[in-house]
Amino acid sequence: MRAIDAGLLTCHECHQLNPIQTEQGKQFCSRCGGLVHARQPNSLTRTWALLLTAAVLYIPANLLPIMTVNSLGKGQSDTIMSGVIELVNYGMLPIAAVVFVASILVPTFKLVGIALLLYSVQRHQPMSPRQRVLMYRFIEWIGRWSMLDIFVIAILVALVNFGSLASIVPGYGAMAFASVVVLTMLAALTFDPRLIWDNTDPDDDHE
Amino acid sequence: MADPASSEILSGLELNQLIACHECDKLLRRPQACAGERVECPRCGCELYTQRTQVIRRSMALVIAALMLYIPANFLPIMQLNLLGQASNDTVWSGVLGLYNNSMQSVAVVVFLCSMAVPLLKLLCQFAVLLSIRLDIGRSYGLLLYRIYHHMREWGMLEVYLMGILVAIVKLVDLAELSIGLGLMCFVALLLVQVWLEVTMSPHQIWDALSGEDEHAGD
Repeated sequence: MRAIDAGLLTCHECHQLNPIQTEQGKQFCSRCGGLVHARQPNSLTRTWALLLTAAVLYIPANLLPIMTVNSLGKGQSDTIMSGVIELVNYGMLPIAAVVFVASILVPTFKLVGIALLLYSVQRHQPMSPRQRVLMYRFIEWIGRWSMLDIFVIAILVALVNFGSLASIVPGYGAMAFASVVVLTMLAALTFDPRLIWDNTDPDDDHE
Repeated sequence: MADPASSEILSGLELNQLIACHECDKLLRRPQACAGERVECPRCGCELYTQRTQVIRRSMALVIAALMLYIPANFLPIMQLNLLGQASNDTVWSGVLGLYNNSMQSVAVVVFLCSMAVPLLKLLCQFAVLLSIRLDIGRSYGLLLYRIYHHMREWGMLEVYLMGILVAIVKLVDLAELSIGLGLMCFVALLLVQVWLEVTMSPHQIWDALSGEDEHAGD
């Protein structure tokens, strides 16, 4: 039995149960004062909007240079992928793997994963709710790790700052990439995981 | 729990005997958890709450420790790079400034928020919430601050920043002379204390204490 069937709303913020009051337009949590909804309003539409914006920015994020290394008058631009390849060439495979996972696999997986979740909720796909909820939790947990490359750029720019001898300048790819990370994190937050379970037949939850 | 009999049992119960899973909205009878026990949703497996002992005292100690580490972690040099006699220092703050001065203001703001502002605001919120429970004053502000804290949770990324430091070290170590600074130790300590704090300060007990449902919370 779902809380919503019993006429109860769970507060998003403190998880307190509140009986539904039908006469009012907006209802506030009796414990923490936050706005309560049965489900996050327009969760699917908002998530789609954020996700599509992120998908568009994903292209410049991968094609534009994220930073330029200037050394003795020579400049070399790095995109996300070329940074990984460079690490592999130096023989630093573990770190290359971490960067590859954090900045290429994770953003791609997030874009595809959230789209799959949205699609399966809207089309009542026969994917099991347990699989979907595992995917949702994984996406929510892993999202922050894509910021890794942005932090690396921040550190390198501050550290390698020797004027004409050697310097590192951030590129516009970094801006696009940071937007992708922030937008996909917001998309994961606006998605209401309870929708995953709403579409499943209540009789077949195996307990 | 789909059979009508159990639904009737659940609807007959008082509100405080019930709990709903916040991830799948399943309604359950609230289990009585002993100290140190963890309650999970039987349908989706999400953690409902964990009962811990001496939450307020332990969290208070950890918050104070984290706040003391915050300034050295962010403003002492994390590492120093020497190239042909020139040296440059890197702190978390100088990373933000570096991006800002290279016409990447929006990225600088994101880095500032995720690595400095949000972690500090989170700690201050937690400190204020614990004080309000401990001294029994300003509970309504405590509730508001704790709500704000929950919205910021996702956006504090100290552990990702530490990984970034490691990647930067690996990238630079062959190119120039690199030395690790005291700031890195403080940063690691801050991260550890903060993770420990997140684990100790179980939200369900804090909400109960803030709303006055748990009289022994301040002990």
